[in-house]
Amino acid sequence: MAGILVYSEQTGLAEELISYAVSTGKAVTAITFNEEDAGILASCGADVCVVKGASDMPEAYGKALAGFIEDKGIEQVLIGATARGRNLAASIAGYLDCPMASDVSYLQIVGPDLICQRMTYGGLLVSSETLSGISVVTVGPGMFEKQEKAAGTITSLQLDADNRVKLVAREPVVKQGVDLTAADKIVCVGMGMDKEEDLEMVRQLAQSIGAELGCTRGIAEERHWLPPEQYIGISGQVIKPQLYIGIGVSGQVQHVYGVREAKVIVAVNNDEKAPLFKSADYGIVGDMYEVVPLITEAIRNL
Amino acid sequence: MLNMVACYKWVVDEADIRINQDLSVDMSKAQGKISEYDKNAIEAAVQAAKAAGARAVGLTFGNEKSKPSLKDALSRGLEEGYWVHGDEADTADAVVTAKVLAEAIKRIGNIGLVFCAEGAADTYARQTAPRLGALLDLPVITSAKEISIDGNTVTVTRKLDDCVETVSAEFPAIIAVLPEANVPDIPGLKAVMAASKKPVTEWRAADLITDATPLSWVTSVKGYETNRKNIVFAEGDAAERVKQLVAALRKEGVL
Repeated sequence: MAGILVYSEQTGLAEELISYAVSTGKAVTAITFNEEDAGILASCGADVCVVKGASDMPEAYGKALAGFIEDKGIEQVLIGATARGRNLAASIAGYLDCPMASDVSYLQIVGPDLICQRMTYGGLLVSSETLSGISVVTVGPGMFEKQEKAAGTITSLQLDADNRVKLVAREPVVKQGVDLTAADKIVCVGMGMDKEEDLEMVRQLAQSIGAELGCTRGIAEERHWLPPEQYIGISGQVIKPQLYIGIGVSGQVQHVYGVREAKVIVAVNNDEKAPLFKSADYGIVGDMYEVVPLITEAIRNL
Repeated sequence: MLNMVACYKWVVDEADIRINQDLSVDMSKAQGKISEYDKNAIEAAVQAAKAAGARAVGLTFGNEKSKPSLKDALSRGLEEGYWVHGDEADTADAVVTAKVLAEAIKRIGNIGLVFCAEGAADTYARQTAPRLGALLDLPVITSAKEISIDGNTVTVTRKLDDCVETVSAEFPAIIAVLPEANVPDIPGLKAVMAASKKPVTEWRAADLITDATPLSWVTSVKGYETNRKNIVFAEGDAAERVKQLVAALRKEGVL
């Protein structure tokens, strides 16, 4: 059995990846650790293996899955680009001694090889890569559409876990901030702001247009003015609002990566050389303490 | 004495990359730097060495231009540097890089923990730590946010997409740290001076692995295309500029 192996612990993402894999005409095997997902994944056209083993952590099965992939003659591995998924993917690639590409934005299987595109240098560049022979790629949500197909089979698969990493505790994340990825408008605060109490001025602006408040990494991770869930960028939230207004945001490439899918980008900064102006549709060069209250007032008077 | 090894990469500073009108990329004026995320790996190794009474060392694989990285790395609290160099680094994919690092780690020997970042600032391939685990057959802990050491046991808090996990493993183990794992100090003048006197062991890549043929390669690199209006309101006073901005945003239908 040649074909494609798919895994993601996020059910929706697994469905998307299976649907793409099925569309290539190859046999598709999906792995899950969650019995409840088996039927859902099978209905996308994959033969589903429910993994049973001695660890609660999917990452613990890299070596065992590499063995399974070799036994089955699988040619391609697609894994959802989550923290766990990336870990498992690179572990499998390591044990298979095969190439891998993470977080691809485009992929195509060409004969025995795979070609893909992915962002490098914090999103500044797009790199096209060729992976020869069996390979592993990780893919984020939203690249493919889920499609229902004739249901595949469901079997269980006993695998050996690597028990050297022991799970001591697991707590669900309590989100302190808002879900920026769902926000229609976002006002973002950058390191150009002098004092924490000045956040109030930006909150007023956000309120006036019905926007959520976001920030750059420095505001959340260095100054701790806003919770980490509210920072935007390559290692934080990646947002797609209709309107993004950056206040005192310099526009480092890692931040811009997180905002460049916005429909309209506005920059307010006293430094005319701030890189964000190059990534913006509209900009005002000026002191935020003068400009922001004026914008808020102008909007309230509309 | 046990070794706490920090793996780091000398990368092109993205701030120096020029993208031409046709989206072709010019790196000719670019300076090198230690990948920002790897500074967290170095700091984690230094802290782990303190906690365990071990020795913190740095390991890098790069071309001949990566030599200045040693002084920078050693000014950050590491006691010794291991520099693997060769032109192989220019074509190395994650497979080759991991093999070189794994072989170097074997030679360093007496390993407590090996620290990597989740990914490098240039390729962000996010593979090195799990690949080292596979090649050295050691346990791997990724997404590390907090690290504590008790005897030969490391306990790590991992930040995952939907949960926070606490896990533990015995030495030796591989750990990939998140940027929030620590705040690296900016080295002072004294540390920078002392760095040039610290020992550096050099290996050529060809001394460590016989086959440096990559299994994947980059076929093209171009700038990310941004189509933005780039309109800056510069006429009149602040009130006038704001008026123009608000009018433009209304026209866009986003207010």
